[in-house]
Amino acid sequence: MTMTPASTEGQGRAAPAADPNPPATEPRDWARSILGNQQFLLLVALGALILYFYSKRSVFLSSGEMANILDDFCSLILLAVGETFVIVSGGIDLSVGSTASFAGVIGAFSMRGMVSHNDSEALVLVVGTIVCAAVGAGVGLVNAALINWLRLVPFVATLATLGAGAGMAIVLSHGIPIGDDTRAIIFSQAKVGPFSWPVFIVIGILVISWLYLHLSRYGRYTFALGSNEFAARAAGINVRRHLVSVYVLSGLLSGLGGMFLYLRLGSGAPTSGAGDELRAIAAVVIGGASLLGGSGRLSGTILGGLILTTVTSGLIISNVNPNWDQVAVAVLIALAAALQALRPGRRRA
Amino acid sequence: MRDRSSVCSIGARRKATLLVLASAGVLAACSSSSHSSSPSTASSGGSTATSAAGASGSGGKLTIAFNMGAEADPFFIAMNQGAEAEAKSLGVNLIWQGDPSQYSPATQIPIVDQLLAEHPSALIISPTDPDALQPAVNQAIAQGIPVVNVDTHVTDLSKVLSFITGDNQQGGAAAADAMAAAMHYTAGQTYQVVVGASSATTTTNTARLAGFKAEIAAKYPGIKVMAEAYSQSQPAVANTNVNNWLTEYPNLKGIFAIDGTNASGAAAALQARNLVGKVALVGYDAYSTNVALLQKNVFAALIAQNPTEEGKLAVQYAVQYLNTKSTSGIPHEQTLPNIVLTPNSSAADLAQYTYPTA
Repeated sequence: MTMTPASTEGQGRAAPAADPNPPATEPRDWARSILGNQQFLLLVALGALILYFYSKRSVFLSSGEMANILDDFCSLILLAVGETFVIVSGGIDLSVGSTASFAGVIGAFSMRGMVSHNDSEALVLVVGTIVCAAVGAGVGLVNAALINWLRLVPFVATLATLGAGAGMAIVLSHGIPIGDDTRAIIFSQAKVGPFSWPVFIVIGILVISWLYLHLSRYGRYTFALGSNEFAARAAGINVRRHLVSVYVLSGLLSGLGGMFLYLRLGSGAPTSGAGDELRAIAAVVIGGASLLGGSGRLSGTILGGLILTTVTSGLIISNVNPNWDQVAVAVLIALAAALQALRPGRRRA
Repeated sequence: MRDRSSVCSIGARRKATLLVLASAGVLAACSSSSHSSSPSTASSGGSTATSAAGASGSGGKLTIAFNMGAEADPFFIAMNQGAEAEAKSLGVNLIWQGDPSQYSPATQIPIVDQLLAEHPSALIISPTDPDALQPAVNQAIAQGIPVVNVDTHVTDLSKVLSFITGDNQQGGAAAADAMAAAMHYTAGQTYQVVVGASSATTTTNTARLAGFKAEIAAKYPGIKVMAEAYSQSQPAVANTNVNNWLTEYPNLKGIFAIDGTNASGAAAALQARNLVGKVALVGYDAYSTNVALLQKNVFAALIAQNPTEEGKLAVQYAVQYLNTKSTSGIPHEQTLPNIVLTPNSSAADLAQYTYPTA
């Protein structure tokens, strides 16, 4: 396998190979290698944000507040993980938020009957999880079909499923949340240490996804596809089949995201994922992935997601006008993209 | 002025092009199929087909065109039931049409134009924007079609027959009273409360908040509104907001959830932290899910609007004017009070004011 694009893109290069003017640029090289390490910068940014909010409200560093941020993080990061695979493969998935809503509503319908029959909560949630995952995977399949066989570009294909999913969720639910499952809320709040147990499930999913993206052949193919589709095809990768699997994975994780929203709200709300596609893409971009495909780190997405949810909660805790949240996210995205442009040997995102 | 909490957020957030590109066809198909399967709306679907004949009017029945904000919104579904029942009892045709889910002038204007092309006897409309829908209303009046506004209104009401709406300011004040009662308000004590809204610009939100704050200022000096935040019509965001408040204000005594999405998010937060009954949650809109939570005491009170009555009165006034050609007995503006539902409300009241779901 000649998967060179994949193997080199992921590892941040220490310095540009050919330096035209060595002595004069030495300090710049130093600055560049720091700037080039997006993970490090993100960690610094996250630490600085936490310290800032802590200085405004000391309650920010309490375990209760950390649990709040992680609860919010869990519903977002599943969408962002799927989005990372899609963006690395050179595509984009705008449908993740509406898929979460749609899957959540369908899952809630399937669970409502069981709840009213007083079936065991574990059984109800297992069925709901399977339904949500299946609906999400189904939407992913539709995306892949639109891209592979109708030849739509991913942006348009997933824009179509975004609208269809959001609209269907509203039409089916008549605009109101489905279910009032208090048992599910309480069940999902059972603590393991300071955090509720769904957090640990999400951590498990993150570990598996990281291994899959960065250490498996599947991940290498995904990077290869995003770097150069023709080369990937020439190297013997079944591009269509791989795209199907990437979009199905994204849909499946979005469906699970819908299930997490159900656990938080005790209902499947038709607008529960509205706008989350932009937050998911923001997490991926802040994490350092290029929208051109072929580069990105899942750890970056995770840090990006943590930064977004920290800002959201921090602004509320410190009682800042919540509209600043959107401004803050916009600034973060611009900064992350600017960093990427400054990094050596990178294409502009 | 209605609550745009859930359905309309799609309209607010997505570009109009999105629907055109992606979902208009799907939505239209879904909506019409779901409607034809429901007996109550099948008749309105039928009237659409016959309306041209009815409207041309030689000896036929009167035809009332009713253009609401968003068909899938439970608020308008309830309004539809009131309008349908009144149309049936008065023996007139009702054309019930609006965008399936988008609360937006961009999608509403073509629908009004199409309705007017069918020359209905009267037009009842909930304008999604006071200025954008003014030309359509003017055109109807110029064609001799009387116009009634319901829920929301166009900027110039001078030639509009009647405007019927709920009183959001009074609803906000009623929410303050209900919250004070649930907290067993005693003068001299301090009560920290917060308000979850959807956006800073939604007119229903601002009117309710103004009413809430005015009532507190007048009657409950001990209640302190500590914070307000926006959910952008997303229950999960509302949930995050409330979770953070409960961490920030461990002594929080009350939450005013100003619309449906905030009600869902706040209700879930209280249940998750076992604070039901300890924090007085007053919500807005009698969605069936909210009423179920009210009966579990998760809500201390729900403020319900009366869309069924709004729809009924709109049809009644339109038909009365068409039959008598006189405006006497028809109020130019009518404001219906919001209703307070509590866990102690009678089953009959709960049943009457719960918004139906199709």
